[in-house]
Amino acid sequence: MKRRGVLTWRAPWIAALCLGLALIGPGLAGVAGAGEKPKLVVWWNKGYYKEEDEGMQKVAEAFARENNVDVELTFTIQDDLGPKIISALIARRVPDVAFCFFTDWQISPKFAWEGKLTDVSDVINELKPRYIESHLKTGWLFNKAENKWSYYSVPIEAQALGTHYWKDLVQEAGLNPDPKKIPMTWKEHWAFWKKVQDNLRKKDPTKYGKLYGIGMTESSRATDTFYNFEQYLLAFHGEVLSPDGKVVAGEAKNREAIVKTLAFFTSIYKEGYVPPDALTWTDADNNVNFGNKTVVMTPNPSISIPAAAFFTNKDVYYNKIGSVLQPASPVDGKGYPYLVSVKPIIIPKDAKEPALAKKFIRYVLETKHFTEYVKASNGRWFPSFKDVAADPFFHDKKDPHVPVATDQHLNYPTRPFYYSYHPAYSQVYTENVWGKAISRVVTEKWSNEQAVDEAVTRIQTIFNAWK
Amino acid sequence: MNETAGVAVDSSIAVHRERWRGKTILGLVFCSPLILIFLLLVITPILYMLYMGLDRSIYPAVFSDPIFIQTTWNTIIFVGLAVNVKMFLALVLSALFSTEHRATKILAGVFLLPWAIPALPGILAFRWMLNGEWGIVNKVLNDLGFASIPWLVRRPTALGAAITYHIWKYLPFWTLIFVAGRRSIPKELYEAGVIDGTSSMQKFQYITLPMLRNLYLICSLLSMVFTLGDFVIIKIMTGGAPGDSTHVLATLAYRYTFQMGRIDWGVGTFVTALPITLMFIFILIRWVK
Repeated sequence: MKRRGVLTWRAPWIAALCLGLALIGPGLAGVAGAGEKPKLVVWWNKGYYKEEDEGMQKVAEAFARENNVDVELTFTIQDDLGPKIISALIARRVPDVAFCFFTDWQISPKFAWEGKLTDVSDVINELKPRYIESHLKTGWLFNKAENKWSYYSVPIEAQALGTHYWKDLVQEAGLNPDPKKIPMTWKEHWAFWKKVQDNLRKKDPTKYGKLYGIGMTESSRATDTFYNFEQYLLAFHGEVLSPDGKVVAGEAKNREAIVKTLAFFTSIYKEGYVPPDALTWTDADNNVNFGNKTVVMTPNPSISIPAAAFFTNKDVYYNKIGSVLQPASPVDGKGYPYLVSVKPIIIPKDAKEPALAKKFIRYVLETKHFTEYVKASNGRWFPSFKDVAADPFFHDKKDPHVPVATDQHLNYPTRPFYYSYHPAYSQVYTENVWGKAISRVVTEKWSNEQAVDEAVTRIQTIFNAWK
Repeated sequence: MNETAGVAVDSSIAVHRERWRGKTILGLVFCSPLILIFLLLVITPILYMLYMGLDRSIYPAVFSDPIFIQTTWNTIIFVGLAVNVKMFLALVLSALFSTEHRATKILAGVFLLPWAIPALPGILAFRWMLNGEWGIVNKVLNDLGFASIPWLVRRPTALGAAITYHIWKYLPFWTLIFVAGRRSIPKELYEAGVIDGTSSMQKFQYITLPMLRNLYLICSLLSMVFTLGDFVIIKIMTGGAPGDSTHVLATLAYRYTFQMGRIDWGVGTFVTALPITLMFIFILIRWVK
């Protein structure tokens, strides 16, 4: 009885003590560890190839050793890392450095606007002489909290729209698979891929009955759709925003160009030259369909398709897959700027070690370190720095793919996406208004004009609400 | 004498009260970790969500999204069809699995497999099977002389695919619950029914159904609450495609919060669905009582 009484009345105090220790413990540990080295928390996008991660791991270890600091480097795939960074920025419990392939369109425009990113102008100004000029624009963002434009992210690498095709399928269709022989005028270019499909289906209906000439992503769930649409919109000489960030999509000339671009996408689909499921593809599905040889060609916003083959089948990389750029404008037969999606590093404003974070970024972007890192992606990413791009790797004439991308980035006009002009466009991008417009026409039988008007109205509504 | 009795009663009450208090405090101490976790991880986020939801300015933005109304309808269709069809089938199938035959036991083991398969590979496998060009479903249709159907390219079939997957995945679990429910019905009732000359249908109508009524309703409500928050199936199966026509409130809230960084809109979407969820929970609690 007495024993139970003691247990009864002491128990709350014991529980309170345990709870107190649990709460105070981490604080005590913090005091005990006060003399430890500074720690830099880095969230990095997991690379497509293990060599990329290994390369970054090496750089981080070297930085930690040389500066006597701890670097906590974690790799996460972009589909998880994007939401993770967004959650962290909202909750204000952030890493010191974050790099994600989604940052340029999903994160930096909005959070720079809200004043939640560190101004990195000092880093950019040091690196400026090395930069490819058009890549810099991605980092130049508006901070509404402080009412100023400045650099709030550090662009490091980019991708642009290329086209890959199976040479053997083109050959089997009785056409010349040499990249130099692929027609590069608008009408002839697309007619060429249609002809490959027609010839192959005619030649062997059993084998090629479900092969499609054009692997165009047309889905509202894939960012590739948006990329393709806006790139070809430039071919039709259309603009959605003016350089000062105003919506001009409704102007007659631009509306007409958007309607023509949409008509191009929907007509190749309706004519049966694009796989029906392209309307539901994810970003990976054109790669998968190309790999399965159910499509002859696919436009893709990087050279990830041949780059993947490099590690698995050299014959495919060097002999079976061909790479070309985009056909000339249907309007005037001339070239037009290539859209570059430039991937930047950010330092959240709430970072605990902003100075160390900047030092880390400078270290990673040193020519020697960054060249090794970016080369590990096997050309999937093109560096934002001229000295790195001068590395022989990007100019190897025996390589059928990397120099094509190099030529595109260095010798053609390039420009950023519209979210670099106004952060509201990142919402337009996320809503994938063009993917939705394609679906309206194809599945709901809207006219191209109706679908464009709905999309333009939606863009205007989003911009009106962005205050 | 009376006084002595009164003192004894008072003393007994005091001892009883003392013991009760001691037990209560001890009980609370042992429950405190759970209470703390519940307060931190359930009550606080809900209160914070409600607090954020009080901001009226978020609703015009959410309601002006052109896909919001269709998304709400999709949610009603998804939850309504998936739950009711699944529960009805589970009730019917539970009769089969309640029989004592050996083959039924083996069949029950196989039948449980979908429930054991992780959601992600299951949904991806479904997606591949439904592929318009080279999926096995269309291959079978073609072999039988029918034309291919672009299953995931049309809203009705895409939503239908998501509903079918949901039923396939969760039917075994609820069937198992109903099997347990059926086994708890006293056999004497059926024996009495046999003596009275009832048919199988009459046994079901007058014995099984009334005895399972409460269980069926509680299970349906629980399943509705689970399905309302089901994000994975739509996200992986259709991703809202074609043209954002197959989103449900859970996937739309995810897009607002984690892709657009608009936590307020995400909260607004959930708050919109909250009255329905709370109504289900309220009815559920009433029934459980």
